[in-house]
Amino acid sequence: MAPKAANPPPAANPSEHATDRPVSVSTSLPLTPEEQELAHKLKEQAALESELADRELRAANLRAELAAFERQYLHFVGLRYAELDEWRARLAERLAVDQPGNERAQHAAREARALAEETKTVAGEKSSQPPRAFTATLEMKRLFRDVAKRIHPDLTSDRNDRAKRQGLMAEANRAYQSGDQQRLVKILTEYEHSPEAVAGEGPGLELVRVIRRVSQARSRLAELEAEIQQLRRSDLYQLKLRVEEAEKSGQDILKQMIVKVNEQITQAKRRLKIETERAH
Amino acid sequence: MPPLCAKSKRQIVPASPQALATRSAALAARGLRDLSRDSNWLIKKIFSDHTSHLAISPTGQLCASSPLQRAGTERIALYDIELGEGNITLSVPGEPPVSAPGMLAAFAWSSTGRYLVAAWPGRGERLHAFDLYSKSPVGRFGGFSEFPRSLAWSDPGRYFACGSGDGAEARLRLWEKAPDSQSAVAFLDPPLSEAGGTRSFEKCFGAEWAERESGDEGAFTRFGRIAFSPDESALATVLEMEGEWADDSIAVLDVPTLRRLRVFPAQGHITGLAWTFDSRSLLYCSGGQAYRLTSESLVSESLPFGGELVTCHPHLRLCLCFSSWLKNSAKGRLFVANLNTLSTEDEYPAEGLVDLRWSYDGLKAYAVTADGLAYIYELPPL
Repeated sequence: MAPKAANPPPAANPSEHATDRPVSVSTSLPLTPEEQELAHKLKEQAALESELADRELRAANLRAELAAFERQYLHFVGLRYAELDEWRARLAERLAVDQPGNERAQHAAREARALAEETKTVAGEKSSQPPRAFTATLEMKRLFRDVAKRIHPDLTSDRNDRAKRQGLMAEANRAYQSGDQQRLVKILTEYEHSPEAVAGEGPGLELVRVIRRVSQARSRLAELEAEIQQLRRSDLYQLKLRVEEAEKSGQDILKQMIVKVNEQITQAKRRLKIETERAH
Repeated sequence: MPPLCAKSKRQIVPASPQALATRSAALAARGLRDLSRDSNWLIKKIFSDHTSHLAISPTGQLCASSPLQRAGTERIALYDIELGEGNITLSVPGEPPVSAPGMLAAFAWSSTGRYLVAAWPGRGERLHAFDLYSKSPVGRFGGFSEFPRSLAWSDPGRYFACGSGDGAEARLRLWEKAPDSQSAVAFLDPPLSEAGGTRSFEKCFGAEWAERESGDEGAFTRFGRIAFSPDESALATVLEMEGEWADDSIAVLDVPTLRRLRVFPAQGHITGLAWTFDSRSLLYCSGGQAYRLTSESLVSESLPFGGELVTCHPHLRLCLCFSSWLKNSAKGRLFVANLNTLSTEDEYPAEGLVDLRWSYDGLKAYAVTADGLAYIYELPPL
């Protein structure tokens, strides 16, 4: 809402005040202290909105890239690890059968079986289509940024509206990661036509709301930065970096890992065969 | 492409502030580790002094004594091999302060690595037991006029053996854990059985032993290394002979009676002794060569590799060996040998090792030199 009743009609979204319409000042009446503070805070909010949208986009990109890399890694390497762990579990179980009184052998077999089950669960089922790396078009990035700017849950002070925005923002993240451009457009359009997008009240209450939004936006910025740093510290990200760096010099790290794991699978099979023959 | 959240829990949760919710984190870490690992060996400097009185625990702890302990009442220094650092020292209340370096010490870890029994020369020589959880002494037993050089703790923890004294005073004692005690180190005096000492060696080890003792091959000096069979049915000990060129023997004794089951003559001095996990074979090193002694066939078989120290894997047919002499190079090596194929699985150049040990779960092996250099071997998964 605008600080003066005579000023432009209510915006579809309170944050639009700051983004598109500077506070209008009546030529006949000087601004009240509340209006001056509101104008100042709206400018601050506008700057934060842009920064927040940019950082949401960065975080969404990072999440999407990591998720896509994770799918690739699990598909190409994780499934090999699952097979390797299965053979190792069978071998450990074979050895445990041979040594019923050896608690360490029994323990090793239980551990090996548990690891095999865990790896199998994590690696998942082999999909018919090899997963692709994440890429977002410029249009997708622009759309996501618009969505983040318009419906970000930290840019409203209304509790009900905030809950709705949180759901929509999560949905927008999913749509972005899956490359669903139409869904992003729909999220944006539906929100702008919803009753929650219409705001009212006077400059005093609006000032309180803007102050709260600024505070929320700052908190969210910090959260996003922490999340980005956490993602970058993860083993998955480090592995992704290694793969990307190797690609620049023409190396395929994932392929090398597959070869290594395959060698270990062959070795585990050979040992199991020896132990089985020995037992018989 | 399906939405990430709907697919499975292992995916990154998009909107969470704590975004790193990947169940695949362990697999990613495993991939990174495998990628960067071009060797199964890791070398670390644990301490900077020099001592051969040390022992590695099954959990990767290293206890060592003089001259590493500080002056005063502290007797044992403990180091964490994995972390590559010392963390605590152990002392016994009432022990007088010492400052002279070069103190002898003997150690035996329990199979879980929680308890340690240690002996050192001093007033009223006893065996001191420590609990490494509470890092405090939890009891003492024994009593010796001569420093106990060889200690051994059976894997299940029921028996403890100690060899002490020289010549006619040499004794091998066996304690049994008090059956009703909750304490893991409740070894009560007097010992359950004893060999040597005032009893005749002929009675303990047979007529052939008496012949050797009186022959030209050198006189019995002391009980050397001791090793319990993993099933606690037998104990093997080295009968050390005096003289550089003398041949030691291995006596296999019944547990708990210490009755002689068999005495095997070896060639040269025995420097390493270990049972295989199935209690069927003994590996030993003498004169720089590794041998396997199968208790069923009573035949000693020369293995196709040299060895001075040996330790057997807790449940695989593998052993870790150290040989200070490699054919044609005169350089030492630490290696893992497959006892099925009698081939070397993995090796690493090494010199001056004084102790070897597999971890309790058999996933790692540790070796340490007298100069504090530790070798950590990570067993490639089966």
